[in-house]
Amino acid sequence: MLTLVTPAWLFGLLLLPVIRWLHRGGQHRRAVPVSSLALWRGSVASTPAAGERRPPDPAWRRRALVTALIFLALAEPRLSVDRSRVTLWVDDSLSMQTREGQGTRLVEGLARARQLTSDAGFAEVEVRSLGDPWRSLGALGETTVADLSASAGNREPTPPPAALLRADALHWLLTDGADAALFDWPGGRRPDRVIVVASTLRNAGLERISARRDPSDPGRIDLLVKLTNGGVEVETREVVITTDSGEVARSTHRIETKASALVNASIPASARVAVRLEPGDALAADDAIDLDLAPLRRRRVAIDSKCPAPLVAAVAAHPALRLAAENATDVEAVLDCGSRGPAANTSATLRVLADRFPTRLPGPLKWSPTVAESRRILLDDEPWLSAARIDARPEDVVLLAAGDEPLILSRAGNAKLLETSLDLGSMGASRSADLPLLVNLMFERVLGVELLDSIAMLDRGSASVMVAPAHSPNAAPGAVPGSSAVSSSNESRPRVSPMSRDGAWPLLAIALLLLVWEIVALGRQWIRLNRNAGSVVE
Amino acid sequence: MATSTLIPAELPSEPELQSFASAAAQLLIERQPRLPGSRTVSRRAGVGLQHFDHRDYAPGDEVRHIDWRQTARRRQPIVRRFESESVADWTLLLDASSSMAVQGAAKWQSAVRIAAAMSYALLQLGHRVGVMAFGARVLAECPRGRGQHHYAAIARLLRSLQPTRSGERSELGVCAPHLHGATTVFTLSDFLASDEMRRDLGAMVQRCAALHVMQVSDAAETRLRQVGDLDLVDVETSARMPAHVGEGTGVQAAVERAAMTARLRSFCARSGVAFTDWDIATPWQQTLLRHLVQARSNC
Repeated sequence: MLTLVTPAWLFGLLLLPVIRWLHRGGQHRRAVPVSSLALWRGSVASTPAAGERRPPDPAWRRRALVTALIFLALAEPRLSVDRSRVTLWVDDSLSMQTREGQGTRLVEGLARARQLTSDAGFAEVEVRSLGDPWRSLGALGETTVADLSASAGNREPTPPPAALLRADALHWLLTDGADAALFDWPGGRRPDRVIVVASTLRNAGLERISARRDPSDPGRIDLLVKLTNGGVEVETREVVITTDSGEVARSTHRIETKASALVNASIPASARVAVRLEPGDALAADDAIDLDLAPLRRRRVAIDSKCPAPLVAAVAAHPALRLAAENATDVEAVLDCGSRGPAANTSATLRVLADRFPTRLPGPLKWSPTVAESRRILLDDEPWLSAARIDARPEDVVLLAAGDEPLILSRAGNAKLLETSLDLGSMGASRSADLPLLVNLMFERVLGVELLDSIAMLDRGSASVMVAPAHSPNAAPGAVPGSSAVSSSNESRPRVSPMSRDGAWPLLAIALLLLVWEIVALGRQWIRLNRNAGSVVE
Repeated sequence: MATSTLIPAELPSEPELQSFASAAAQLLIERQPRLPGSRTVSRRAGVGLQHFDHRDYAPGDEVRHIDWRQTARRRQPIVRRFESESVADWTLLLDASSSMAVQGAAKWQSAVRIAAAMSYALLQLGHRVGVMAFGARVLAECPRGRGQHHYAAIARLLRSLQPTRSGERSELGVCAPHLHGATTVFTLSDFLASDEMRRDLGAMVQRCAALHVMQVSDAAETRLRQVGDLDLVDVETSARMPAHVGEGTGVQAAVERAAMTARLRSFCARSGVAFTDWDIATPWQQTLLRHLVQARSNC
């Protein structure tokens, strides 16, 4: 069925009689020079008698057609399409978990989509989420609804990829309109139908939480919480921070529309931290956030009693390491200075070898390419001595060497074992400021983690808390006027844009072709007239 | 856009001119000196001392040739005519109107070749030859002269002349005031004008010793490449005429052309004017010789 978006442009068709009238003068005849008109008296054409109308220039039909096509295109005709397959693209962002009436936006929208597809009699409906567009969720059934509800907010939704926008199917979009980027489909494509579910317009949520060790107090954690107002009204929320030991902080914040507030807090070291907003709102999923602080814990290191004092002091001063007894079992790393045998090293071990009298290094210190440039420490050759000779196997990785002699070496095998022949207890080493950095480097290598400046963070993205439609379906591709996305708060039923195809572009294309034809015809006529005017004689 | 420039007329080569001159010599001699007792050439009016006959005075006639006795007797001015001597005065009138420029100026090119050949042959025989190009007025003139060096002047003039593409009418009568004395006039034109210039020719007959008319026609000018509803434009008058040109239109135009030629031929026959209709597809040497033979036999 054909519908017109702006039928007022059809009044432009009234120009057609005017165009016909302007061409009333008749066809332009080609002027041909002859030597004498007397020769051609027999072929003289009858001139119109008085009062008799001459036929108009036939070019008026072409020009009138161009005009009519342009006005029809301006009226924006839309054609209803009749296809039996539908791909339902579901916005599974966190905001779709916003409660709307009986259920969430997602549930309400899917129920509406199911009703629409059922009413229209579509034989095949395929559901895909914008968070994971490449995975088909199958038909629009209860299982699909449950899967989508469970996974909503886990992934950042994106517009569907062009490869999946098959031409033999209708593409519907179920969204709350909060993320305008979801309407920006590839290749200028438009959804054939947009189902907008967005009646709740107020929400404040926790967008991001990050934590790091307090550099001045290893026993405390610095916390940074980002609170965002994703609704259309100013919100006030109380931020409550709890750890394993209970509530540790509470503060109240007033947030302007579309603005954010940052909450700083210093909490005792804990395995977890939870932050929640009070009071809650329609989107409960973003009112609480939990963060695992395990990556920020201090790691216990069993210290061999034979280890030199400067080395032990460097480990003790490390903010991410904690000293443990030599025979402790619940350690994450072992510092072996010769007391432990090779068989006992089942956990990550840093072994300091010393089987000879310390000697000067045989050559300049040189880092292995396996150590990233940014991780290397600029060591002076002078204070360092070698107290052992390390035999490197081909599969071992040499990290630091002096000439041909390896000084720090990572042994191949299951257990992470790092050996060094540097004399870390010497007078020069103990005075060197590089010793703590060298110890940090070796333990990072042994443990396989970065020990300094580690940050634990959970970021949901700014779009996750937005619940008010940021994009009007009036301007959205595939939508038609009359179905505003900004709905009143009382409206609970989702609104549906009729499915349609834009018919303006084909009309404009035809008009363009006719226009080119007209220009060519006028050009040829101009050349002909100039030829006749310039040279009457051929 | 066609901005075609007319190609300057190409004159016949020297061998062609000499060949034609030798062939036409016997036809162009007014009175050939022969051995005593064998002077049998026909008598013609011309420039000379021997009295030939009388005729009515016409404007332009020299006053000294008025026969006052006859004038008093008949009560109207009468001039004496003299028998032509072996050499005479010739004036070639060349139509340079716009109608000569259609169809690539083929008619003009042909007429110029004829004029050059005629001038060359006449000058070879010692005649005095002048050339006048006319349209709505006298466009160019080479005064009468004698000798081969004069042919160079005529050739220069002919090469420099080009008919105007449009707007130049054919008015043969404008040449009459420029004709002085008894001169033989040789007119080259397509005679595509009202009444085929018969009125002008009638006036010209009275002013010259003899008149030759060669109508230059081109069969191509009665064939149009365009068909359909056209606006035909007269190149001389710029008058327009709506016409429907079809398959048989060219035949009608040719018939009309033939009718015009017939009228002109009839007029010339009545007036004692040597007339030839020359289709430029025919070689000019053949046409010109045939014309001279015909003119001599009429005398």
